[in-house]
Amino acid sequence: MNRRDFLWHSGGGLGGIALATLLGRDGALANGGLHHAPKAKRVVQLFMAGGASHVDLFDYKPELVKRHGQPAEFGEPVEAFQNGLGPWLRPLWEFKPYGRSGKRLSEVVAPLGDVVDELAFVHNMVGKTGVHSQGTLLQTTGFNRPGFPGMGCWVSYGLGSMNENLPTFVVLPDHRGLASNGTKNWDSAFLPAQHQGTVIYPGAKNPIEDLFPDERAKFVTPAGDRAGIDLMTKLNRGHAATRAGDERLDARIRSYELAARMQLAAPEALDLSKEPAHVLKLYGLDHGKSAFDKEINPVEETDYFGRKCLVARRLLDRGVRFVQVWSGNDNGFPRRNWDSHEDVKRDHGPLAYGMARGAAALIADLKRLGLLDDTIVLWTTEFGRMPSSQGGKGRDHNPYCFTNWLCGGGVKGGVTHGPSDEFGYKPADRKHPTEVYDLHATILHLLGIDHTKLTVRHDGIDRRLTDVHGHVIPELLR
Amino acid sequence: MPRPLSLPLTLAAVLLAVPTGSRGADEPPGPAQVVDFDRDVRPIFANHCTSCHGAEKQKGGLRLDRKTDALKGGDSGAVIVSRKPADSLLLHLVGENEKDRPMPPKGARLTTAQVGTLRTWVGQGAKWPDDGSAANPADWWSFRPIIRPPGPEIRNPQFAIRNAIDRFVLAKLVEKGLTPSPEADRRALLRRVYFDLIGLPPTPEAVDAYLKDASPDAYGKVVDDLLASPRYGERWARHWLDVVHFGETHGYDKDKPRPNAWPYRDYVIRSLNADKPYARFVQEQVAGDVLFPGTVDGTEALGFLSAGPWDFIGHAELPETKIDGKVARHLDRDDFVSNTIGTVMSLTVHCAQCHNHKFDPIAQEDYYRLHAVFAAVDRTDKVYDADPATAAKRAELEAKKTGAETRIAAIEAAARKRAGTELVEIERTIEGAKQPAAPPRAEYGYHSAISDREDRAKWVQVDLGMSMKLDRIVLRPCHDDFNKIGAGFGFPVRFKVEVSDDVAFKMNVVVVADHTAADYANPGTVAVNVAAGGKSARHIRVTATKLAPRQNDFILALAEVEAFDAAGKNVAAGKEVTALDTIEAPVRWRKSNLTDGIFPTAAKVTVDDLAKLVGARDAILAKALDGPTAAERRAASADRDAADLSLRQLPASRRVAYVGAVHTGAGNFVGTGPTGGKPRPIFVLPRGDVTKPGREVGPGAIAAVPGVNGRFELPPGHTEGDRRAALARWLTDPANPLTWRSIANRVWQYHFGRGIVDTPNDFGKMGQLPTHPELLDWLAAEVRDGGGSLKKLHRLIVTSSTYRQASSGNPANEKIDGDNSFLWRQNRRKLEAEAVRDGILFVAGKLDLTMGGPSFQDFVVEKPEHSPHYQYHLHDPDDPKAHRRAVYRFVVRSKQQPFMAALDCADPSLAVEKRNQTITPQQALALLNNKLAVAMAGHFAARVEKLAADEAGRVSAAFRLALGRNPTDAERDALTGYAKEHGLANACRVILNLNEFVFVD
Repeated sequence: MNRRDFLWHSGGGLGGIALATLLGRDGALANGGLHHAPKAKRVVQLFMAGGASHVDLFDYKPELVKRHGQPAEFGEPVEAFQNGLGPWLRPLWEFKPYGRSGKRLSEVVAPLGDVVDELAFVHNMVGKTGVHSQGTLLQTTGFNRPGFPGMGCWVSYGLGSMNENLPTFVVLPDHRGLASNGTKNWDSAFLPAQHQGTVIYPGAKNPIEDLFPDERAKFVTPAGDRAGIDLMTKLNRGHAATRAGDERLDARIRSYELAARMQLAAPEALDLSKEPAHVLKLYGLDHGKSAFDKEINPVEETDYFGRKCLVARRLLDRGVRFVQVWSGNDNGFPRRNWDSHEDVKRDHGPLAYGMARGAAALIADLKRLGLLDDTIVLWTTEFGRMPSSQGGKGRDHNPYCFTNWLCGGGVKGGVTHGPSDEFGYKPADRKHPTEVYDLHATILHLLGIDHTKLTVRHDGIDRRLTDVHGHVIPELLR
Repeated sequence: MPRPLSLPLTLAAVLLAVPTGSRGADEPPGPAQVVDFDRDVRPIFANHCTSCHGAEKQKGGLRLDRKTDALKGGDSGAVIVSRKPADSLLLHLVGENEKDRPMPPKGARLTTAQVGTLRTWVGQGAKWPDDGSAANPADWWSFRPIIRPPGPEIRNPQFAIRNAIDRFVLAKLVEKGLTPSPEADRRALLRRVYFDLIGLPPTPEAVDAYLKDASPDAYGKVVDDLLASPRYGERWARHWLDVVHFGETHGYDKDKPRPNAWPYRDYVIRSLNADKPYARFVQEQVAGDVLFPGTVDGTEALGFLSAGPWDFIGHAELPETKIDGKVARHLDRDDFVSNTIGTVMSLTVHCAQCHNHKFDPIAQEDYYRLHAVFAAVDRTDKVYDADPATAAKRAELEAKKTGAETRIAAIEAAARKRAGTELVEIERTIEGAKQPAAPPRAEYGYHSAISDREDRAKWVQVDLGMSMKLDRIVLRPCHDDFNKIGAGFGFPVRFKVEVSDDVAFKMNVVVVADHTAADYANPGTVAVNVAAGGKSARHIRVTATKLAPRQNDFILALAEVEAFDAAGKNVAAGKEVTALDTIEAPVRWRKSNLTDGIFPTAAKVTVDDLAKLVGARDAILAKALDGPTAAERRAASADRDAADLSLRQLPASRRVAYVGAVHTGAGNFVGTGPTGGKPRPIFVLPRGDVTKPGREVGPGAIAAVPGVNGRFELPPGHTEGDRRAALARWLTDPANPLTWRSIANRVWQYHFGRGIVDTPNDFGKMGQLPTHPELLDWLAAEVRDGGGSLKKLHRLIVTSSTYRQASSGNPANEKIDGDNSFLWRQNRRKLEAEAVRDGILFVAGKLDLTMGGPSFQDFVVEKPEHSPHYQYHLHDPDDPKAHRRAVYRFVVRSKQQPFMAALDCADPSLAVEKRNQTITPQQALALLNNKLAVAMAGHFAARVEKLAADEAGRVSAAFRLALGRNPTDAERDALTGYAKEHGLANACRVILNLNEFVFVD
């Protein structure tokens, strides 16, 4: 580790300087060391694991209503993930226009209607394959194989910390299990470990791994720990005094002080009990239930997703750069994710309502606190679902076309960019789809970073979040 | 092909006639004015062209940022023809009249003036100043042959010259005006060499013994002892496993465990401990089964190929015929290729996947030739004999069996020929009758576990919920193209159908169909009807007494069991299914598929029709087999059965290892086993796109490596193993300079914290240059010419004065070389996760030094049936099974061990050429609070409790155990005071968190 890396590794308020060095700028600290003036400082990414159906939620296709039940004629051979595509299947819910923009939304995501004029929809997203793992990695890391840093890692690496008492990049997984690829979606890969997503399980005894000592060890006491860190610091100082010039030794002494501060800051940030009743209500957390039905249901899903959204808001408010919120676990049974091969209505329904309620509350709440202006909210999933059924009530994967939406932080609200074709099967303009690289480039742009210049050399290549692709989408910028 | 001219002459004339004179930025120079490339042309290319035709992308194979490439042209041939603007495609495409392929395709067109500038430039000879792009890319330090350099002469050495290493290093220090550091004190040196060679701290006794030993070779003896210790292999295997990205789960979606991956880890440890020659070490890992057949190492070493992640869904649920299935297999081969070339040769061959390597002399074709080397290989479980004698016997018997089967096949083929078209016709009719009428559904049916014997009885049964009067039972066979079986897949050869009210089928069993005495002709997908005669029963059981052959193994599979009552209602629909065993691989195979109403149906054929056809066919064949041929066939069958019987009687010493090999195993995934390991055809894929294959290529390696032939020139009919063997030989050829430089650099790296080349996986132009190129070559020659011994290399390095220097600073040197690139001191090193963890267990007295075998799991697995959840927090830190060295830890890909990950352990999803070294609050929390660390602090305290009578004595003992020295008075007093107030366990916890514990001077 050279000295420059060290400065960076030691964290703590060196963002601008370190960034200027990293980005290869000539000492210019204009724009806070960024490539250009940023519009946003923070990002929250909402990830729907399993493949959320664009045609049932956001991308209204009257043609499917008209042709419901008719044999699906795609006009070309279609390679589905599972075999056996059935007839056209109409959206499982009615669509209605909302807001000034008149954007049509499915009734299952009706809560988003309240904030629809903030949202910018992209309906011509395309992936590379219909395999969950590859599709998920592509959206989270920009590559369809493991071994690359998550988007949050790059943002942390590029922008640094705004609050050294909390992690820079926080992940709030679905508590029922990790989605495809597990932690590979937010691991730092070849970037230093402090940029990896820190998993937080709000409400758990140890919401962050090892935040507090193992309960089994009765000899550990708060007083002993406080005195222990003081003693350690003293002994470490003595050790470092005879080893002048090695900043790592000082950095490690400081890391224990930061750890102690995180022990105070994290529980405070995760404590929802101080939130006023109107805020809890906004997020749908006023249901008064302490137990839920065995079958998947909207109240329970609202509680899970809303709680994570509220925690995300609290973390963002306290200076966390990047929060990733997951809806849905692995592709097991019974379905607790968006991979609705069997029954879209049964499985998408509660998940979508819970997501919409939480996401709408998050956006409204950020706006209420004045944070939406410099916080980007990105809603995404690994792929969409087919406009035809699988013979029954479910839909197969559709990596050829799906929807993302984003808002806040310099994003132009109330717009729809890049339409899909009349069925939502492929982009209307097949030659000019939107790829994840374009969205990543746009988000980095809003954060003040030129996506082609934030690079790290690894294994012979100057790696970047957007590989060798990506164009900023001007239509999405305010 | 250059495009035919379409530019109207008149327009060309106009463009050339632009007036000269005082020109603005947007005016082209006239013909009389000389266009300057850097001033006039380069900006046009840079602003309008190179985003698609530059360093990052070369659309149409063209790049316009480097002279050689630009003048060579792209996929359509030359685009710039010197002095001939009218022949230059570039000028046509940027011209305003271009309709087909206007360039640039997006954004503003070039102005008339800019086009004029380009035209004039071409007309004037397209002069482009030399930018070095014409240099031979193979003229690069790492590609040059290794010629052992003489050690430089050193006058007035500033430290003892102990071996040639010191000459090279000292010469460089003198050249740079740097002063070497004095030798480290003996205590620091001992701790350093212990951690470097075995990854554990010296015991206080070892420290005392060494300090007392005044003999001149005291240090040398320690080094020899450490290199002879089995702990050495455990320490250094972990470095190798980092680079090859060894993991014990697949990664990706449904991160399934690989319970048989550990033999490879043991192989690496064993090989390093045995100081196996490096060439052989590499050869075994690429082609051990071919080059060293019948050896245990030759099989287990192939775990190298399978070490990396595997997209289970992309292989098991997607056949090779689908695009996504192709992508998955392409990515998989990319991992074989990158892992092999990156690990052994330190080259970034994966950069040549979409186009020729942009910086290094690796052609795209080379990359795909390497794909062809591994084109038959998949990641798979391989059964092998751990005993070499049994392996030999098995090979002999298998040859006998194959011989007999070949004879039978020849006899039958002759008989078929005699039987003529009549037989062909009737067999075609039978096959047609068996085929399903509609394309298969995703849900195939029920599939038993796989048996290696056909005579293992298996059953599956349906519970109707209550006793019902049954009219008939219908068995619906499966269809699966696995091993080209198709219709009737898994249908039992002999079976019976029973009904009973007893779930265990012990009492009141009624047999409603019995085909256990003779083989039942496979019905294809034709339904098999069984009359139930109005019997009442709650349970229906199908028992196979002779299983269906699959691929060197046997199964029972059925698509559906129906049970009709007198009214014709299927009372089995949706009812619960149980079975002796089942593979449960949804959605294709699961028990519940047996009653889901989904099954392939044959068109309008009954089993009776089919039986008649089969009977007729058998009669024709029997007639043709008459007389002596029938006797020959019987004899051959007897030979086959005898060999088969002997094979079954071989000792059960077989083991399973997860390796890279031809896949013949179980499950939905089909490898190349069904085709006998025939390599898949490999095509050059422009831009890596599997849907647009270019020309087919055969096996080979990197053509530009001098002295070794990268074109393997294998004879027609060679096996897939021949391909890997050729690559293994090519890699380890003494003339292959990269292999030897690579390993010398890696060994050096782990002794100094940094390699002579600081990018150990990249010796190309994007990598770092060696700080000591002559030294690297000398070390590489030492390994290559010294029998490939790594232990000799270790000894040379750790006994050098260079290695033995103190790690303390020196302000004068720091001004010149702050990074210590030139080794004016040893580097103080932060210990890796494994050394910290093992060190904690060791000083706590809990480290279990048992070697080898299946990995310990420090997690609890939940929901193993679908996507296993690896729950580390549920594991008991006092579970003694988990107190072995970290190299024996079960390495999960989708969720890394949190404690190890916080300490920067290697991520098994990528090749880790060197560990990250971070210092974070999360790391502090892990060492302070992690349950293992806390539990060990308690055990550490219990251990030192017995070593002294008072707290001062105990904290001193703890200090000696953990840090190898006595505390100073101040340290002892501070720790004693703390221990008295907060307990000895907390004092031990403080010691294990000290900087001195995790840094080695």
